Amino acid sequence: MKKYTTPLIDELEKGPWPSFVTEMKKAGKHNEMANDAVGHLEKCYRTKMGYWKHGGIVGVLGYGGGVIGRYSEIGDEFPGVAHFHTVRLNQPSGFFYTSKALKEICDIWDKYGSGLTNVHGSTGDLVLLGTKTDALETIFAEYSSRGWDLGSSGSALRTPSCCVGQGRCEWAMYDTMGLTYALTQEFQDEIHRPTFSYKFKIKSSGCACDCVASIARADMSIIGTWKGDIQIDQAEVKNYSSKMDIKAEIIDMCPTQCMSYDGKELKINNAECNRCMHCISKMTKALKPGKERGATICIGSKAPIVVGSLLSWVIIPFIKIEEPYTELKDLIRKIWDWWDENAKPRERIGEVIEMKGMRSFLEAIGVPPMPQQIREPRKDPFMFYTEDDIASYKAKEAEEKKTGKYKF
Amino acid sequence: MEIAELQDKIFAFVEAAKGKKKLKEKDIIKGVSAEQSMQPDEVKKAMRAMIDVGRLMYSYGGGASSVEIPSEEYLREKGLIK
Repeated sequence: MKKYTTPLIDELEKGPWPSFVTEMKKAGKHNEMANDAVGHLEKCYRTKMGYWKHGGIVGVLGYGGGVIGRYSEIGDEFPGVAHFHTVRLNQPSGFFYTSKALKEICDIWDKYGSGLTNVHGSTGDLVLLGTKTDALETIFAEYSSRGWDLGSSGSALRTPSCCVGQGRCEWAMYDTMGLTYALTQEFQDEIHRPTFSYKFKIKSSGCACDCVASIARADMSIIGTWKGDIQIDQAEVKNYSSKMDIKAEIIDMCPTQCMSYDGKELKINNAECNRCMHCISKMTKALKPGKERGATICIGSKAPIVVGSLLSWVIIPFIKIEEPYTELKDLIRKIWDWWDENAKPRERIGEVIEMKGMRSFLEAIGVPPMPQQIREPRKDPFMFYTEDDIASYKAKEAEEKKTGKYKF
Repeated sequence: MEIAELQDKIFAFVEAAKGKKKLKEKDIIKGVSAEQSMQPDEVKKAMRAMIDVGRLMYSYGGGASSVEIPSEEYLREKGLIK
């Protein structure tokens, strides 16, 4: 196997964090494709060129997605990456695996691909990086015989994804995994046979903590919420008061300023609460969401391609999410019909709503206008750190290194 | 109309657009159903049967998917011709 000298990407192995370069080099010791990928990457850094082409006609028979064709322009120099297609596998809802299942996935991938993976890609799928065209049908046969299916790509319903939901989390207001599984089964055709103008993503979060960041990157965000008053255990509030500064950490940080605390009793003006989950996630024993639970449905977020990035817009303030999810499935179909009628190629639904107007969209899907249909209920999709934040993280990191004890 | 005849019409529709326009599934379904005065679902079913056996295929470029007539290279790779 050819040995590459890689002074530039070696820099990415320095520091205390895991390095993808180290992992690529490990894989490259026994896999020609991974080895050439290392040499190829070094050349990309040296020449400041990408060399990758993507798209085309690779895939498995009958499916329009799940494989993304990638080719290198310099395949003669690095034959292992001349074809370097990506295979997406549909992940289990909530990303729960047994170690046996993961081993099985990796064994097949070691045999037919580069051995490199990205678990998980931003869509949610298990992403297997780098294989050749003539191996695709065999790979598909191997995975499908063990119960796996390809994920989605192209102008299709992308593989639905969700947070861990009720599998691990007490704040999940509905069964995110159950819903995601049901939608995946219901819309198999839309996942595997690209029929839309562009991609459509559905992401389900059990609460407003939004662990799958659905509000910033899903065309349809289904975010758990509740109706009624936040449940308060005043005795537990008292316990928290000895461990934290309730005024500074809870009351003053409430985005709608709907809370008060006089040192004895915590009060919430629930009519003003916007269900952001901040107080509940900070005082887990003292506060619980209201008893009537369901979800808010938002529409239209996306990353900044074609026009700028968009955040989701509330269209259904509250809906019960219960099996067999008929109301939700019907709504999704109506949304697709309107989008399909109005979108030009490569226009996401959020862009079409921007152009045609929310009024026209709501009329078409049969949802009445409501004051709760707030545009961009959360303003910024990014986190910004101040210089003080960075200094405090560095101090914490230095202390952890010194003591060997990690503070989470 | 017999399904084989409908599939020939679909094939001709896709062939006519070759090199001019990338057709989405919906373009074909709408176009052929209007041209042949047929239900969109019938056209969709016939078209998908063609995709399943490699008479048509999905393609992808610039972020969007389309339906095309497969190349000989593709058919050979799938073992559909020698």
